[in-house]
Amino acid sequence: MGKEMIAMLLAGGQGSRLYALTQKLAKPAVPFGGKYRIIDFPLSNCVNSGIDTVGILTQYQPLILNEYIGNGQPWDLDRLYGGVHVLPPYQQASGSDWYKGTANAIYQNISFIDRYDPEYVIILSGDQICKQDYSDFLRFHKEKGAEFSVAVMEVPWEEASRFGLMVADEDDKITEFQEKPKEPKSNLASMGIYIFNWDILRKYLIEDEEDPASENDFGNNIIPNLLKDGRKMYAYHFNGYWKDVGTISSLWEANMEVLDPEHSGINLFDEKWKIYSRNSGMTGHKINTGAHVENSMITDGCNISGNVKHSILFAGVKVEEGAYVEDAVVMGNTIIKAGAQVKHCIIAENVIIGQNAMVGQMPEGDEAGVATVGPGVYVGDDAVIGPNAMVSDNVKDGDKQ
Amino acid sequence: MTNSNNTNALGIIFPNAYDELVPELTSERLMASIPFAGRYRMIDFVLSSMVNCGIDNITVLVRENYFSLLDHLGSGREWDLSRKNGGLNIFPPFAQKNMGVYTGRVGMIASIVGFLKSQKEKYVVMSDTNIAFNFDFKALLDAHIASEADVTIAYTKENLPESILKADELNKGMYYTLDLEGDRVKRIHINSQETGVKNFSMNVYVFEREYLINLISEAFKRGSTYLERDILVPHLDEMKVMGYEYKEYAARIDCLKGYFDANMKLLDNENLEALFGESPIYTKIRDDNPTRYVNGASARNVMVADGCVIEGEIENCILFRGVKIGKGAKVKNAVLMQDTVIEEGVQAEYIITDKKVRVSEGKELKGTDTFPIFVAKKQVV
Repeated sequence: MGKEMIAMLLAGGQGSRLYALTQKLAKPAVPFGGKYRIIDFPLSNCVNSGIDTVGILTQYQPLILNEYIGNGQPWDLDRLYGGVHVLPPYQQASGSDWYKGTANAIYQNISFIDRYDPEYVIILSGDQICKQDYSDFLRFHKEKGAEFSVAVMEVPWEEASRFGLMVADEDDKITEFQEKPKEPKSNLASMGIYIFNWDILRKYLIEDEEDPASENDFGNNIIPNLLKDGRKMYAYHFNGYWKDVGTISSLWEANMEVLDPEHSGINLFDEKWKIYSRNSGMTGHKINTGAHVENSMITDGCNISGNVKHSILFAGVKVEEGAYVEDAVVMGNTIIKAGAQVKHCIIAENVIIGQNAMVGQMPEGDEAGVATVGPGVYVGDDAVIGPNAMVSDNVKDGDKQ
Repeated sequence: MTNSNNTNALGIIFPNAYDELVPELTSERLMASIPFAGRYRMIDFVLSSMVNCGIDNITVLVRENYFSLLDHLGSGREWDLSRKNGGLNIFPPFAQKNMGVYTGRVGMIASIVGFLKSQKEKYVVMSDTNIAFNFDFKALLDAHIASEADVTIAYTKENLPESILKADELNKGMYYTLDLEGDRVKRIHINSQETGVKNFSMNVYVFEREYLINLISEAFKRGSTYLERDILVPHLDEMKVMGYEYKEYAARIDCLKGYFDANMKLLDNENLEALFGESPIYTKIRDDNPTRYVNGASARNVMVADGCVIEGEIENCILFRGVKIGKGAKVKNAVLMQDTVIEEGVQAEYIITDKKVRVSEGKELKGTDTFPIFVAKKQVV
């Protein structure tokens, strides 16, 4: 029996603007929110929306991502028929090819989708933090009798020219598409989440592949072609929390917003819409006498003896006596030694911050940069790492960066 | 065929043993499913220890009140025990035509003799669930094999807990202390009242499977009930019974106060490391979000699981998953189980709350060091 809708999740992006964090890690596998990785959000949305078949298109640094997804059990996506499948580019009789673009990635997996004979395919992006009910999106798509729908967010007009914009009429029918235009005619930004009727998408993917001039990209090629042919295209308004975490500052900001669910709208404490993740399996966290913890999120395996203020600590982080952590995102198993100061920064996994070292600083005036320390880095005792710094190699005792 | 990483032993667990020691906690559950150390249940320790040592064919012989345990164990996947070969087997009473409700270990093991006969592993490791440990069963098996013993019993050297010494009712469960000559067990005392450091049996046993099958089948025919009283005690001369001293961290649950203390001891980082440091202890995953400390919260010397929201003050506490502490509440020296809600302004000291307890706004609840207050499951104070 065919599936009504299956999901294809684009997870091949290099995430080059996250620099040190994505040197050995696909962007969707970047840790987020204390115990999650970015990809937990679209995957949990799928299972919470009743989608039980997900293809994950990987390409760049897939090892950790592959291991993390495993058989999909943490998301309840280990299914007899369907479930989660990681789809890297592979060798075919006619040769092998990297995924040339987003559309090409789906094109190369047409036979995967055909196996499930779906009516609809939802295309998701693996680099956004968003809680969204895709079943409501599908209901809209069906009600409109659409062949293609795109989820859009209203953005402030002054920022509109940074986005791909959908111009739509009163009935939400799309009349024009503008990719990062100088003069925006709309403030409806595409979230990069699409629902297609599979027969339509399949036809356009094949035609697009035959066009040697095409970049094989949804935004640049497929959507303009659909428009040109006057297909039934609609814009679905989404007004929940949505954040593209493609840069250090947006990643840091989104983490900070998790600390303030009442105002930011990103609530991870929603029993009805749980975000699932692979569990660390560590014991409950420990806050020792003399520690001070304020307005922070702390998870299993942490051991805190110092001060932690307005920060997110991932599993197994240790904060020693007299250390001070503020406005920081500290990822798994990192150790912050006695007297170190860690402020306004992102510290990746398995980092050691030496005694009395200083990483980042609180914003002063125009200087509001987020310092970043890449995974596995050793920052020596008394070393100083300034705001905006991007550290991916060890820092010797007493050095300044 | 057994995997080369595997140990040539199967496991048998008795989850109802010593239920009667903590009647407060076992009214709706059994010993094995008593919540412990913030996010675990007692059975997680023995299950994880076995799995970590390559024992992956494990039988749980449940007797009564076991719904909570079935819910916790599921298919055994969290312990990597959802397998085609071996894995987790749960045997309730009446699982087969000839099985009834049994009282002692002899009847329980006799009821699965057919199953035991069809297994391949050479050895059997048996354990109760009243002790939280991170047991290296491989070392125990090695000692058993090296000594060519018929039976090896693991024990700890310690003073018998007062709660046990004081117990005089017959239904308080039997406990065993060992007299040793070298490592050979010369005598087994039942419910000894002697004070001082004793060799306190952990009721962790190793047998050869074939040997156990014969022993139990014979004893069952003779009408024996208890493995220790009816088989081991009278035959220590003929059988080679060896003791194995367990020197690592062990938290034994002997009464409600003992339960409280065993939890509190884990606030000492050394004890925490001793129990959890060696190999992971697995448990059922709840997918809670990380714990959130809101402005105005204060925490000193606490162990807190995921899914909690702390707005008040906590000191010397163990918080299980999903506990809420309201604004201005002060909780000191407490064990708060899953989803306990402490509302605004509550003052509480020396309390144990079972799952889903709610202490309503402004209430004052004070137990003492020697007598912590216990609030039963789902109660509203």
